[in-house]
Amino acid sequence: MTTPPIRIVLAKIGLDGHDRGIKVVARGLRDAGFHVIYAGLWQTPESVVRTVADEDADWLGLSILSGAHMTLVPRVLHLLRTAGLEHVGVIVGGIIPESDVPKLLDMGVARVFGPGTPIPEIVDFLRSSPRRTPTPSVS
Amino acid sequence: MSTATERSAKERWEQEVAQAKPRPQPPTTVSGVPIEPLYTPESLPDFDYETELGYPGQYPFTRGVHATMYRGRLWTMRQFAGFGTPRQTNQRFKFLLEKGQTGLSTAFDLPTLMGLDSDDPRAVGEVGRLGVAVSTLDDIRQLYDGIDLEQVSVSMTINAPAIVIMAFYLANAQNRGLDWQKLRGTIQNDILKEFHAQNEFVFPPEPHVRLVIDVIEFCTRHVPQWNPVSISGYHIREAGSTAVQELAFTLADGFHYVEQTMARGLAVDDFAGRLSFFFNAHNDIFEEVAKYRAARLLWAETMRHTYGASKEASWKLRFHCQTAGCSLQDKQPEVNLIRVAYQALAGVLGGCQSLHTNSMDETLALPTEHAVTLALRTQQVLAYETGVTNTVDPLGGSYFVEALTRQMAEEARRYFDRIQQEGGVIAGIESGFFRREIAEAAYAYQRDVDAGRKIIVGVNAFTEAEEKPIEILVIDDTVEKEQIAALRAIKTARSQEEVRRHLDAIRRAAESGENLMPVLIEAARARVTVGEAMNAMADVFGRYEGAAKW
Amino acid sequence: METPREILELVERFRKRDRHALSRLLSLTARGEHLDVVRRLVQEHPAQARKDGQHPERVAPVVAVTGSPGVGKSTLVGRLIEALRQEGRSVAVLACDPQSPLTGGALLGDRLRMPSRPDDEQVFIRSLATPGGRGAIPEHIDLMVGLLKGFGFEWVILETVGAGQGETAVHHVADVVVLLVQPEAGDDIQWEKAGLLEVADVIVVHKADLPGADRTEAQIRAMLNLPGLSGPREVPVLRVSSARQEGIQELLRVLEERVRQPRGLRVSAKSRLRALVQDRIQQAIESMGSRAEELAQQWQEGGLSDDQVLREVLAAAEKSLSAPFAARPDESAR
Repeated sequence: MTTPPIRIVLAKIGLDGHDRGIKVVARGLRDAGFHVIYAGLWQTPESVVRTVADEDADWLGLSILSGAHMTLVPRVLHLLRTAGLEHVGVIVGGIIPESDVPKLLDMGVARVFGPGTPIPEIVDFLRSSPRRTPTPSVS
Repeated sequence: MSTATERSAKERWEQEVAQAKPRPQPPTTVSGVPIEPLYTPESLPDFDYETELGYPGQYPFTRGVHATMYRGRLWTMRQFAGFGTPRQTNQRFKFLLEKGQTGLSTAFDLPTLMGLDSDDPRAVGEVGRLGVAVSTLDDIRQLYDGIDLEQVSVSMTINAPAIVIMAFYLANAQNRGLDWQKLRGTIQNDILKEFHAQNEFVFPPEPHVRLVIDVIEFCTRHVPQWNPVSISGYHIREAGSTAVQELAFTLADGFHYVEQTMARGLAVDDFAGRLSFFFNAHNDIFEEVAKYRAARLLWAETMRHTYGASKEASWKLRFHCQTAGCSLQDKQPEVNLIRVAYQALAGVLGGCQSLHTNSMDETLALPTEHAVTLALRTQQVLAYETGVTNTVDPLGGSYFVEALTRQMAEEARRYFDRIQQEGGVIAGIESGFFRREIAEAAYAYQRDVDAGRKIIVGVNAFTEAEEKPIEILVIDDTVEKEQIAALRAIKTARSQEEVRRHLDAIRRAAESGENLMPVLIEAARARVTVGEAMNAMADVFGRYEGAAKW
Repeated sequence: METPREILELVERFRKRDRHALSRLLSLTARGEHLDVVRRLVQEHPAQARKDGQHPERVAPVVAVTGSPGVGKSTLVGRLIEALRQEGRSVAVLACDPQSPLTGGALLGDRLRMPSRPDDEQVFIRSLATPGGRGAIPEHIDLMVGLLKGFGFEWVILETVGAGQGETAVHHVADVVVLLVQPEAGDDIQWEKAGLLEVADVIVVHKADLPGADRTEAQIRAMLNLPGLSGPREVPVLRVSSARQEGIQELLRVLEERVRQPRGLRVSAKSRLRALVQDRIQQAIESMGSRAEELAQQWQEGGLSDDQVLREVLAAAEKSLSAPFAARPDESAR
């Protein structure tokens, strides 16, 4: 039995509309055999978490170029946890200052990708990370 | 076996080229256009100097819009700035003027760009972060406080709520006793490229364009030295387009504005001279120079022959230039200084009227003062030390540059035809034509980089294991709180009754189709906020979710 | 792969209307895992509905929305979601997009056009990649629809690209098939579309704010009136503009009405094809005039074989194909 394709939700949260990067990554992951669910622009942490839940995604990729990542990413992570979706891996892309990267990783982000990251690097990372299954029950 | 003398020089050269082993990276432009090993007179069949180039300052302006270009006056060195509160940005403006900058360029924060007030729940975390937060007339007053607005030209990079911000600016000028006739500056006010590329729009395309035309119409009549729109290819390129797409889509947008303004009953020569442009300066020097030259040629011929403009000013394409933000890398960020310098060179060799050079740290955060100063110094070295300003259009007559200019113009014309087939610019937006073209180009570029067909220094070649971190600017978290507190105070102090009256007036004007500028100027005085004015218009225009295909 | 214990737990959570359990069961179904469990779970549902005194088929209408790429399916589905929510109805959407036959990858962007407020539990949207290229619908879609019905959604909408190869499957799972077409710039609707028209129970001329909507509607009506296509039932043709929010309510009313029609009145595509062929052959025989009599005579007397006779009749039928609109029969011929 072949392994089913990895499902990843890609979303931009916050107000910035720079979607070049996320669209390139979406196409790149598609061509690498992923099922990419594009949630689009102007997503709120709440709407992103709802999408991840309903799509039963394995991964969530957030793109933020506005500098609001230290406000928005913790909120997404918190909501994922309260929704019982801690098995979903989160990657972040965009303009993230070096000094914020360890903070984001500490919070539970799996990896931060800067502008111009080669697509194969993202593909390799997602493929090599073990797929986590949800915890059997929620309270 | 023939001897060297029996074969022509050309044949010998061709044989040598055929035998030579090429480098692994194909010789293509940044946009992927293949380049010949050599350009000769044969590359320019039927070349006619007078009709294709002419003299600078004369139709078709291929060589430049002024007779003497930089021998007479240098370009305006205009660095984009803005962050935090209006007071903080005001200080940065004064700092830049002191350092020798000759014009101001205002960056607004994302909530303002999206027409949201600082206290809107959607603005959380973004107030004052990427630019200055402006919600009321008082913010505009503080922003330009102590700056002589009749002397310094001011540019404002804002689109969706451009008409509201322009109304604030004019109300503020009036309050300061300044003469609108003397105000000089530019408001970007180009909504079409937002739909193609940058996604800062609020209303559906048609009413949004109407607001653009309202500003053009009002400024034509009342603020004659103001550039009411800056038709921008910059963001189209940043979104990943090719140089030709940037050129063609920008000019097509310009033609759409011309047609819509003429449909208002304005004579083309009354406003066309105030239309300005904004292009990207990417890494490929010759491709960029050819793009600017083709842009001038295409604009001049279309304004003259399609729209019947008869004034020279209406034929001239004047443009601001900014180095390509998308070319900057977060790896070895100091290398960005060198990229920016070459890009600035392209802008100047291409005859720009004003120039912004990016700071090396912009892929990491907002630029520090140190980085901004180096960026400005780059322009000063270019202007005063390199000698490129000594003659007009120094690359004119290069077989290569002329052939590339021709090719670029031809390909742009083909795009104009395709846009026609799509049903025009608005139909192309609705069908997702522009977005798809740009996204596919961006993806093709990334695949070239990933496959090593294009080399990016420090990224896919010449990498370093250890990166030395550079100093970056940290935005104070107190900005948001401060800004919200100030806004709340204004909201409580004003007359709510008056605000309601003005919002009704905005809705009525939006409904009736009359020019919205006068009611917005009045509303500004009553401290109607950007968000409130935009919401009132949205009640009439509706909100736009974006084109269907991406 | 889930262990049996985990599956049982999922089922329990599903019964308690745990949304994550629904989401996970949909994934398992899409991947063809634990189908027996899902099938049993789905079968609980009609029984439950009958106990409540409702006719099972009316419990949750299943509407398939189909049409070529770019015709605005997602946008229209988005409008339907809004309209249903305004009436207090819950709705689930399965948005299908083809996956690449080479890489198996897919870019699923349909939900972009569909409003779903994160605090609204009454809207559920799932994106599905369909192997097998255009027109196909995912395997086990019937079970997925069953899960959504069983979870309690009052409407289920399937969005699919084209209905070509998957048409029988679409008919099997959907109560109503809505075909979207848009105003055509060209002279006539391409004839390939006639095939698509056959699948539809309702036809929507979408983007009706664009020029040419009248013409397109007229052409579709003309096509529907062709012999064989009309059949014993009416196919409503509606004009809808999602951009201007026009025609959505009307569409919803038509869908409700269609759903209430007993299945017996609905004719399968195959029987419609049979009717078309019968009509055409009959016309061909009429068009042969006295030669038809002769032919019948010779055939009966054994001078001509079955195949020979048929070949001549088919040749006559072939002649009428070149001018399809001109070949409208008079009513008496039918």
